[in-house]
Amino acid sequence: MTGTLTKIAAVILLMSICSCRNSSTRPGGLSFPVADSVPAGEAEKLSEEAVADIVQNIASPVEIASILQKMQVPFSAGYLAPTQGADRLTTNFQKAVMLGIYGADLGYLNMYEKTGNSVDVLSVIKRLADGLRVGQYFDFETLKRLSVSKSNLDSLLFLSVNSYNQIDRYLRDNDRGSISALMITGVWIEGQYLATQMALSHNDKILRDRIGEQKIILGDLLMLLRPYMESSEEYRALYGMMERIRSGYAEVKVSYRLGEPETKEEDGRLVVVQHEESIVEMTDAQLADIAELSKEVRNKLISGI
Amino acid sequence: MKNRFIILTLGLVFLSLAAAGQPSTDDLVSTCVLAAGENTTYLKDFRIQLPKAVQNAAVPVYKANMYLMKNMKYRFCVCDAPGSEGELFITLYDQGKELISSYNSSTGKKYSSIDFICNKTGLYTIWYSFVDGTQGSGVGVVCMIR
Repeated sequence: MTGTLTKIAAVILLMSICSCRNSSTRPGGLSFPVADSVPAGEAEKLSEEAVADIVQNIASPVEIASILQKMQVPFSAGYLAPTQGADRLTTNFQKAVMLGIYGADLGYLNMYEKTGNSVDVLSVIKRLADGLRVGQYFDFETLKRLSVSKSNLDSLLFLSVNSYNQIDRYLRDNDRGSISALMITGVWIEGQYLATQMALSHNDKILRDRIGEQKIILGDLLMLLRPYMESSEEYRALYGMMERIRSGYAEVKVSYRLGEPETKEEDGRLVVVQHEESIVEMTDAQLADIAELSKEVRNKLISGI
Repeated sequence: MKNRFIILTLGLVFLSLAAAGQPSTDDLVSTCVLAAGENTTYLKDFRIQLPKAVQNAAVPVYKANMYLMKNMKYRFCVCDAPGSEGELFITLYDQGKELISSYNSSTGKKYSSIDFICNKTGLYTIWYSFVDGTQGSGVGVVCMIR
């Protein structure tokens, strides 16, 4: 009888192993220390629903890069964060912020199809993700292969954006929202840095509007960071820096012109054209001020590497 | 006893094969991204599983908020999981006002995707639910049209 039970147990174990497809990318069984979590009391200040409300797509690196591409702004490697020295990052705070910054750079590289240049960035991202114990969501080998071969840009874009989405989802689901908030802030600040630097040299209304509209998003980003502000000096300093950028937006005006949406069918797809419009009023001086503040904060954040 | 062991083993083999035959949610996301078509770039996915609507109660809805940007075109695709009883549809709201839905309940017509030409940067709400409140599972994918 005992022998039969042992056999059944062995079969169940074997079957469990066999039926776990892609187990390397499914870390559900792993448990992580919560050293980088914020005490429950702190997190409670912002309800879960409110956090969820603001974190979806708060900063998308490919959207900014897409605008730059449409403007026909030439690619410039000089704007990318240096990858040398990333191994020296020691705290989870630094790793998470830099993971976001390099994520934005990866989006910029990929949208410009500078995929050969992206291998260094990919390697650093992989190391940082491993350091934060989320490397299992980053399929480095496939990304590297797609980057080197330049064969399938769509797959490369999908895999890289999807990796970041999965990391973000995993962090939030596992009480590591503070790390997710840092990563999102990193993506945002690098996108903001790229956009503002380009806007100084290329006068384009769409890009200027995009920078001005960040006033709305920055408010939510600060709300996302606020619960963690008291958890360490690093968070407090970051919050202070982001507040300084917000001060640059004080006189920027975002207003709305009402309009009814128009719906039509095109090639079997339902299309809605929005006629309500957001309007940004931002002077050259305000733009220059915001660009300088954004550059200062971004450079301060990458100075740790 | 021996027979029971064989039956149990065969049962487990069958269950395992059946499980392996089901595509994972990640596979469904990839399929849905492909369905979005060419000239699109994936931005976000939402994995939805909802129970059957209870009588005299609101239809179960999965709600997500997402920043959408002026001067961008977005494509929202929905894909049902294989074996899902319900058919997934999406409704897009701007500050509580319905902008568009991929399902017209009066005609019964359902689209697998909707394109949104955005002219106002802001936080939009996406509602995912299943036609007639049937239980079901699927994914919603948001792409940027290049």
